Amino acid sequence: MNISGFEYFSPRSVEEASQLLLEKGKGAFVMAGGTDLLIKIRRKLLKPAVIIGLKGIPGLDKISFNRKQGLTIGATALLSDVAHHPKILRHFPAIAYAAKSTANTQIRNMGTVAGNLCNAAPSADNAPTLLAMGAEVILAGTQGERRLPLDQFFIGPGQTAIEPGEILTAIFVPTPPPHSGVSYQWISARGKVDISAVGVGVMVTMKGKVCSSAKIALGAVAPTPMRARKAEKILSGKVLSSRMIEKAALEASREAKPISDVRASAEYRKQMVAVLTGRALSEARQRAAKG
Amino acid sequence: MKRFNIVGKDIPRADGRAKVTGTAIYTDDIKLPGMLYGRILRSPLAHARILHIDTKKAKALPGVKCVITGEDTPKIKYGNWRLFPNTQDEYPLAVDKVRFIGDEVAAVAAVDRDTAEEALDLIRIEYEELPAVFDTDAALKKGAPLIHEASPGNISLDRKISYGDIKKGFAESDYIREDVFTVHAVSHAYLEPCSTVAQCDLDGRITLWTSTQVPYIVQCLLASTLGMRENDIRVIKPYVGGGFGGKMEMRPWEFCAAFMAKKTGRPVKFTLTREEELATGRRRHPMKIYSKVGFKKDGTLVAKDLKIHLDGGAYNSMGPTATFLSGNFGAMLYRIPNYRYLGQHIYTNKPPAGAMRGFGAPQSLFAAETQMNMAAEELGIDPIDLRIKNAMVTGDKIPDVATISSCGFIESLKEVAKMSNWKRKRRTLRTGRGIGVGCYSFISGGVFNWFNTQYPFSAAEVRAFADGTVHLLTMASDIGQGSDTTLKQILAEELGLKMEDIRITAADTAMTPQADLGSWGSRVTLMAGNATLEAAKKIKEVLFGAISARYNLNVIYDMECKDGRIYAKGRPDRGMSFGEAVALVQKANRGKPLVARGHYTPRGKGLVTPAFSFGAQVAEVEVDRETGLVEVKKMWTAHDCGTVINPTGVEGQLEGSIHMGLGYALSEELVTKEGKTLNTTFLDYKIPSALDMPPGESICIETYEPEGPMGAKEAGEGLVSPTAPAIAEAVCHATGYRCKDLPITPEKILKGLRKK
Repeated sequence: MNISGFEYFSPRSVEEASQLLLEKGKGAFVMAGGTDLLIKIRRKLLKPAVIIGLKGIPGLDKISFNRKQGLTIGATALLSDVAHHPKILRHFPAIAYAAKSTANTQIRNMGTVAGNLCNAAPSADNAPTLLAMGAEVILAGTQGERRLPLDQFFIGPGQTAIEPGEILTAIFVPTPPPHSGVSYQWISARGKVDISAVGVGVMVTMKGKVCSSAKIALGAVAPTPMRARKAEKILSGKVLSSRMIEKAALEASREAKPISDVRASAEYRKQMVAVLTGRALSEARQRAAKG
Repeated sequence: MKRFNIVGKDIPRADGRAKVTGTAIYTDDIKLPGMLYGRILRSPLAHARILHIDTKKAKALPGVKCVITGEDTPKIKYGNWRLFPNTQDEYPLAVDKVRFIGDEVAAVAAVDRDTAEEALDLIRIEYEELPAVFDTDAALKKGAPLIHEASPGNISLDRKISYGDIKKGFAESDYIREDVFTVHAVSHAYLEPCSTVAQCDLDGRITLWTSTQVPYIVQCLLASTLGMRENDIRVIKPYVGGGFGGKMEMRPWEFCAAFMAKKTGRPVKFTLTREEELATGRRRHPMKIYSKVGFKKDGTLVAKDLKIHLDGGAYNSMGPTATFLSGNFGAMLYRIPNYRYLGQHIYTNKPPAGAMRGFGAPQSLFAAETQMNMAAEELGIDPIDLRIKNAMVTGDKIPDVATISSCGFIESLKEVAKMSNWKRKRRTLRTGRGIGVGCYSFISGGVFNWFNTQYPFSAAEVRAFADGTVHLLTMASDIGQGSDTTLKQILAEELGLKMEDIRITAADTAMTPQADLGSWGSRVTLMAGNATLEAAKKIKEVLFGAISARYNLNVIYDMECKDGRIYAKGRPDRGMSFGEAVALVQKANRGKPLVARGHYTPRGKGLVTPAFSFGAQVAEVEVDRETGLVEVKKMWTAHDCGTVINPTGVEGQLEGSIHMGLGYALSEELVTKEGKTLNTTFLDYKIPSALDMPPGESICIETYEPEGPMGAKEAGEGLVSPTAPAIAEAVCHATGYRCKDLPITPEKILKGLRKK
C-alpha cells in the first residue's frame, strides 16, 4: 500500500480538529472510518500530507433521538450502528435500511454515514433518504457552527459545500410530520451486496387520501444525489392513487440525468428510476397509513 | 461395489486448520533476509513498437537495486505448447513490440515496494503506436493489423474434428436449426493474487517459491528462458489460494524474480495487485460460436456442424488446448453420428485468454445446451426427455477420441428431474418463475502431451517406516482443491493406515519424484491417484511376502492390510502391525529403506482423456419483470464422478462451481474498451457474494470408473458448465427471453421481454 509519507493526528475535540485542519491547509484531510479515503490514497487519487482522524473525539459517535425534534447522527457513528439502532429501526426504518444497504458488513463496521455523505459520490446510499426527509448537516469551524440543508450540501461528484477548516460533526433528521411514510429502494447488478446502480428515497405526508407533500430524491443518476422536484409537484395536493404514483415515477425518470458506465447504461438507469420511484412511493404510502 | 474404510468418508481437509487459523504460509508471507521487492512496468498501449527505453532515472533512484527490460534478457520465447515450438509466442519481457494494454515491458527490484513503484514512473519509453484490433471479426478482416508476424490473418492456429458424413446427416434431418452464440471474458478471481519469491545460491542455482498450479512446467520453462538446466532450478509450491487455470503457465514475474535474484544476489519477491490481476490477467476465452444441428422428427440427433472463433487476446497461452477441447465438448453428452468442428484461435490486442475452469467447456456447452433447449421447445419435446433420448451411455465410442468407460448420464438426468419436481414445475410455475436444465461432461485429465514431457504424467514415491508411518512424495499440486487430502485418503485406504499415519510432501521439484504436469484439466485425482496407488501396491507386495515367509504360509493365502495390521486373510493371527512388517523387511535387507515408486501415463486411452464425468443440473429462478433482476432460488444437481473419495470435497467443488457458474451467467464480465479493462476492482467486477448463493440439493450417481483409482474420476471442473445454460433456460421459461449472448443482464431481459 502506497500510504507512506503523511502525518496522522488524532485530536480530542472538534475545535482542535478544526484548528489543525486550518493550520495544515490544502494537504490535510479529515478521516472518519477511512473506507473511502484510504482507497483513494492507494489508487493514487489523493496524496495527503496530513490525515486528521475523528474517531478519537469523545461523543462524536453519539446517536440521539428526541421525538419532538428528531434524530441526530454523530459524525463517527458507524454505518452498522445506524443500521441496527433500535430507535432508528423503529422511527426511521428507511434510514436504517439505507445504512444497511451500504457496502458490506466489514465496511459498515468501519465506515460512517457522515463519511458516506462527505465522500459525495453520486451513488452514496445514505443520501436519497436523508434528502427526502429534509435532513441537515451540522458543520463546525473555528468560527462556530452552522446548519446546512442537505439539499445544498452536494455540489458535484466528490465536492461538497464544506468550507476550509469545517468539519461535519453530525447529521440532523427532523421527525417527520404525522401521517408520513418514508422508503428507500435501490438496485444493482449483483443481488444483495453491492454498490447501487440506482437508488431512490421518498417521503410522503398524507392528509387522508391526499398527499400534502412528497419529497423524492434520486441517487446515482446525476453528478450529485438530486431531488426530483417536478415529480414532487405532480403529487402535491393530489390523491395518491396508483395512477398518480406511476405518473410521478415517469416524471422522476425524465428528470434523472444518468450516465452510462460499467454498472448500467443511462437508458436502464432512467427506466429503473421510474420503477424504483413507483415502488418507493407505494411503500411510503403504506407506511404513512400505519403511522 | 467395493467397501472402503477411508475412501468415501468425510475426512477433514489436511489444510483446513492451517488456513482457517491463518497459519498457512502463502508465497507472499515469505520474507527472506535482504529480500528485494519487484514491480512490473506494463504497456499503456494496445499495440505499439518500442522505439526506446530509458531506465537511467529509475536506476538512479535511491533504493533501486535492479532495473531490466527485454534487452537485458536472453530473449528466448516460451509457451506451454512445447511440442509445437511455433506456438511459443511470448517473451518474459516485451521485445520490440507490445501487444496489449498490460504487456510486461520492464521490471524493477528495490528495497521496498513503494520505491519500486516510484521507479516505474521514472522509466521513459518511446512507443510508435500501431493500429489495433479488439474483437475476432475485426482481427479477421482483410488488411487488419498483424499482431504476430508469423500468423498471417491473425489466426494463430486451428483445430478440426470430423466424423460421419455431415452432408448426409443434414440431408436426413427433419429439423435443422442454426444459431450464433457469443460468450464473454471472465476472470478466475482467485483469492490469492500471483506471487513469487526467487533466491539464487552461490553456485547460481535458483530456488523459486511461487503460487502455481504447475511447479514442473514453471521449472522447465524458467530453465529454458534463462538458458539453465532444469534441475538447477528448484520450484516449491507453498499453500496456494486458488488457481482455476489462471496459474498454469510460467509467467513474467517468475522469470523476472529469478533473473533479478541472479543479477543482484538478493532474493526478489513479486506480488501482483488485484487491479493488475483484473486488468491484465489471464481470462476465460470470449467466443463466437456458430452451431448448426439436425434432428429427426422424433428428436434423434443426426448431425452437428460447429465453428468457433476463440478470442485469444495477444498471445497463445493455453489457447491451443481450449481450441481443441471446445470442439471435443461440442460433441459430448449426446450421440452425434455426423459431426464436424472447426475452431480458430484468433489474436486480438487484449490481455490473453488462457485456461479457466472448464477449459472451453463452459462456452461450448452453453451454446450446445441452449441449442438443445431451443430444439426441445420447437420439437415439442420435454428438454430432459430429449436429452435422455440422445444421451451417451457406457461403452459409446467417440471416433478417434475415446471410449466412454463409465457413464451415469441418463441416471443423472432422471435423478435431477425427480429431485426438482421437474415435470410439474415446467407446467405449473407462474409467470416470472422459471425452471431450466443444463448438462455437462468433462475430462479426467488430458492425454495429449503438448508439453512434450519426458517424464510420466504423474509420479509418486512412498516411503514406509518401522514406526508405522509412511511418507508420500508427489509433485501433484494442491491449490485449494484438496488433492493432498484425496491422495492421502487413497494411500491410507490401500495400506490400511489412518490419515495421521501419513505425511505428505507435495510439489517441491527438488524433493518429489519427477514429474507431474500439474493441477489442471481435472487430472490430479485420476493420474496422481493412480501413481500413488501403484507405489502403495508395490509396498504391499514386499510386506505381504515378508509376512508370508515369516509365518510359513501356504502360497495360496490372500493377504490383507487393514487397521494398521498386515495379515493372512482368514487367519488374522498370522500377521503383525504395519511398522513391525516394515522392520522385518528392513532387517532382511541390511536396513535398506523401504521405498516404492509409482507413476501414471495414459496408454491406449485415445486422444483426449482416460475418463469422462457426466452430470445434469436444474435451476429455478425468479425474475423481476420490472427490473430484469434474476434471483436464483434453487439448484439441483445429479452427477457422476465415479467413486466419491471425499464427499465433502466433492460438495465443495460443486458449490464452488455453482458460485462460478452463477457469476458467469449473471453478473461477472471483464468489460473492455479498446483493449482497456474498465472494471479492475471487485466493486465493479461482480462476483456473486455469499448472500447471493442459492440453496441446493445434490446427489452423486454411483458408477465405477475402471481407469480411475478405486473407481474415481473428475469432480472439479465439469460442474462449472451446466449452471449458465440451466439458468438461461430458467430465465427463458420465466420471461420468454432467450439468451444467446452471455451474460444474462437485467437490461437484456427487459429488452427481450418487450419483444414478446
